[in-house]
Amino acid sequence: MWRYIARRLLQTIPVVLGSTLLIYAMVFLQPGDPIVALFGEKPVSEATRAQLMAQYNLDQPFIVQWLLFLKGALVGDFGIAYSGQPVSELIARALPVTFQLAVMALIFEAVLGVVAGFYAGLRRGKIFDSTMLVVSLIVIAVPIFVLGFMMQLVFGIQLQWVPATVGSNTSFTNMILPALVLGLVSFAYVLRLTRTSVIENLTADHVRTARAHGVPDGMVNRRHVLRNSMIPVVTFLGADLGALMAGAVVTEGIFNINGIGNLAYQAILRGENPTVVSVVTVMVIIYVVTSLLVDLLYAVLDPRIRYA
Amino acid sequence: MRTRRIMTITAGVSAAALLLSGCGGGGDDGGGSGGGDGDMIINARGLEPQNPLIPTSTNEVGGGRIVDLLYAGLVSYTSEGETEMEVADSIESEDNKTWTVKLKDGWTFSDGSAVTANSFVDAWNYGADPENAQLGAYFFYPIEGTTDDGTFEEGADGISGLNVEDDSTFTVTLKDPASDFPDRLGYSSYFPLPEAAFDDPEAFGEAPIGNGPYTLDGWDHDTEARLLANDDYDGNRDPQNDGVTFKFYTDPDAAYTDVQSGVLDVLDEVPTSAISTFTTDDQLQAFNDPGPISTNVTIPDSLEHFGDDEEGKLRRQAISHAIDRGEITSQIFDDTYSPATDFSSPVMPDYSDDIEGSDVLDFDPEKARDLWNQANQISDFDGTFEVSFNADGSGNAEWVEAVTNQLRENLQISAEPKPFATFGEYRELITNRSIGTAFRSGWQPDYPSVYNYLAAVFGTGAGSNDGDYSNPDFDAALVRAASSQDEDERKDALNEAQTILFEDLPAIPLWDRNSYGVAAQGIEGVEMNWQAQPTYHTITK
Repeated sequence: MWRYIARRLLQTIPVVLGSTLLIYAMVFLQPGDPIVALFGEKPVSEATRAQLMAQYNLDQPFIVQWLLFLKGALVGDFGIAYSGQPVSELIARALPVTFQLAVMALIFEAVLGVVAGFYAGLRRGKIFDSTMLVVSLIVIAVPIFVLGFMMQLVFGIQLQWVPATVGSNTSFTNMILPALVLGLVSFAYVLRLTRTSVIENLTADHVRTARAHGVPDGMVNRRHVLRNSMIPVVTFLGADLGALMAGAVVTEGIFNINGIGNLAYQAILRGENPTVVSVVTVMVIIYVVTSLLVDLLYAVLDPRIRYA
Repeated sequence: MRTRRIMTITAGVSAAALLLSGCGGGGDDGGGSGGGDGDMIINARGLEPQNPLIPTSTNEVGGGRIVDLLYAGLVSYTSEGETEMEVADSIESEDNKTWTVKLKDGWTFSDGSAVTANSFVDAWNYGADPENAQLGAYFFYPIEGTTDDGTFEEGADGISGLNVEDDSTFTVTLKDPASDFPDRLGYSSYFPLPEAAFDDPEAFGEAPIGNGPYTLDGWDHDTEARLLANDDYDGNRDPQNDGVTFKFYTDPDAAYTDVQSGVLDVLDEVPTSAISTFTTDDQLQAFNDPGPISTNVTIPDSLEHFGDDEEGKLRRQAISHAIDRGEITSQIFDDTYSPATDFSSPVMPDYSDDIEGSDVLDFDPEKARDLWNQANQISDFDGTFEVSFNADGSGNAEWVEAVTNQLRENLQISAEPKPFATFGEYRELITNRSIGTAFRSGWQPDYPSVYNYLAAVFGTGAGSNDGDYSNPDFDAALVRAASSQDEDERKDALNEAQTILFEDLPAIPLWDRNSYGVAAQGIEGVEMNWQAQPTYHTITK
């Protein structure tokens, strides 16, 4: 078990190296000179430009820039953004906000998705099942920003149940609406995944055996059907935490949340290599760690799986 | 945001109108809507500053609007762009070249230290020092002892044209006479700094100490900056509220939503989604009035068929006549832009509306075709007329497409938009003169004068003369304007300079961006100034 964890963690090293190199190359290949852009339409001072190029290592070949970045990143120093603030501070500010948002979205989609999917699966073909299928189809089909603006208009502006935007106050009530919007699409997938899985397990041999033994219906459904149906759902949820954090750009924009998605988006627009690469590196690490946790969870859910 | 912020400088900031001149006096407690503790704090849309809050490092609107409220310069501007003495008691010169600045007594920074001649000279030297890499250094270029880009030579210990006489007097020696030099001194690069700034500029940039109408109470990065009225301030911009909180939004849609629900008081922009409805939305107050930010298409001399000769002139005039500006400003911009009437903007205090030659801006497709055919007699045009633009600036693609469509239709030529992915790439090609096409250009004035639009963009060798235009007659008219002591004479010289531009058309003026925006119900005193920004100190609720 521990050897397995150690091996998985060691695997993250080439993943991080490769992904930062890839991102660095892509940012580097982006046309245009970000320092010239700093001057707007005003004349560019050569002396100032040279000073800034040196300050951000932009005068080095890109492989050197990358190595300098890695050297700093090893000790937690991600460099300085154009605004003069350390990138690590920018990330430290934005990450908890996005993490809160993503976790709230994850809980919402997991709880509602599993419960609704479970009952839809048990009552296959009935009115509840059909309704859920239609609802999830709509949610998957309509783009997230449409749902976001619609829910903001209805609950934030017309009914005024929750604030329309989040801004500086990231309290639980302020974040409910954005978390719902963010988790909505995944909720539809969790629901469908659970439903299919439950239907499959209902006809499984061990379930039929349990029923034949006279085990009560409720216990069969909970112990034997639901638990076994959770394996694909947990895989999905684990991978989804990373996707939620990285994919929150649209939701963060609509609700004015100062999270990691917004930070990355703005940095890409500015061509700010240190910020873009640092954010991506942090996201990669989060992805790798959550997928490791998911793999370990399998063992808990399915006793047949053992890691040597 | 860096890219967007430049967009905001050139393609627009904001603004609106002269509405309901409110002002219940500085002591007004806000009439009930100002919050529980009786303080009247105005919530305005802001953008996260892209640089430390040091005046010379700030060259974008997000930081600029905060810096403008934290500091007071030698002069200040009224919302109409008239210059008033602020920290300066007098700024005088006999030859428009050597200026003597005398300061008023009693000005202090909010840390208690006095504002002296050294506060200005040291701040300017800091800004012009190439080692400090300040983006606002460009503004020092007229002063003796700086290079063309405003920095002094490496190794020098300051700008040689600055001389401290005593605590309240210093002199500025310029390279060339400039009668409007005092009018330029309200720009943020010319603000003073306390001594504390130079000990640790990094820490100072996070928590600046100024002498302006407001002090910085706190700056939560990416979230908000809280400014409180400065009780010790006794200048021209007396705050009518108790403070201004700039809430940072990256998406104008979210900000607009907050104005509708009353969470945000003032938004100096309107998202594209609301541009056709904001003037009729009864949930809020709308502003939409002429503004200072002009848009042009620059056609470099070096372009084949557009050289400095008869053929080039005919083609430029043909293009200008072939563009239906009114149609584009109403169809594409929903009347939030106004067709250009000259090379500057109607909101400048020295603007004229009847400049000789300005009829070249009139839409006249027949005349356009005729002029183009005349040019074809000289040399046949069989290429494609391309207009370059940066596609990351919102709205650029739409109007460039419309302009090239009109050229194609009205001149029967091949005309195409030429997009560049990023502003950085676009500016790089323009700066090193390798763009090879006509290109989108724009100007937002540094100080309220037509002279700034003309000299900075079209003067021979001027820093922002990206089309390399050069006409000795035009330069001579500018010199006459700059050295004239008489207001009428100066205006005549500026008009004459514009007449020359209308003949040569180094750039085709298209339109000016209106100052538009929205305010929540119950907000009063929102007035848009010559910089297309709300005058934050007059807002009450």
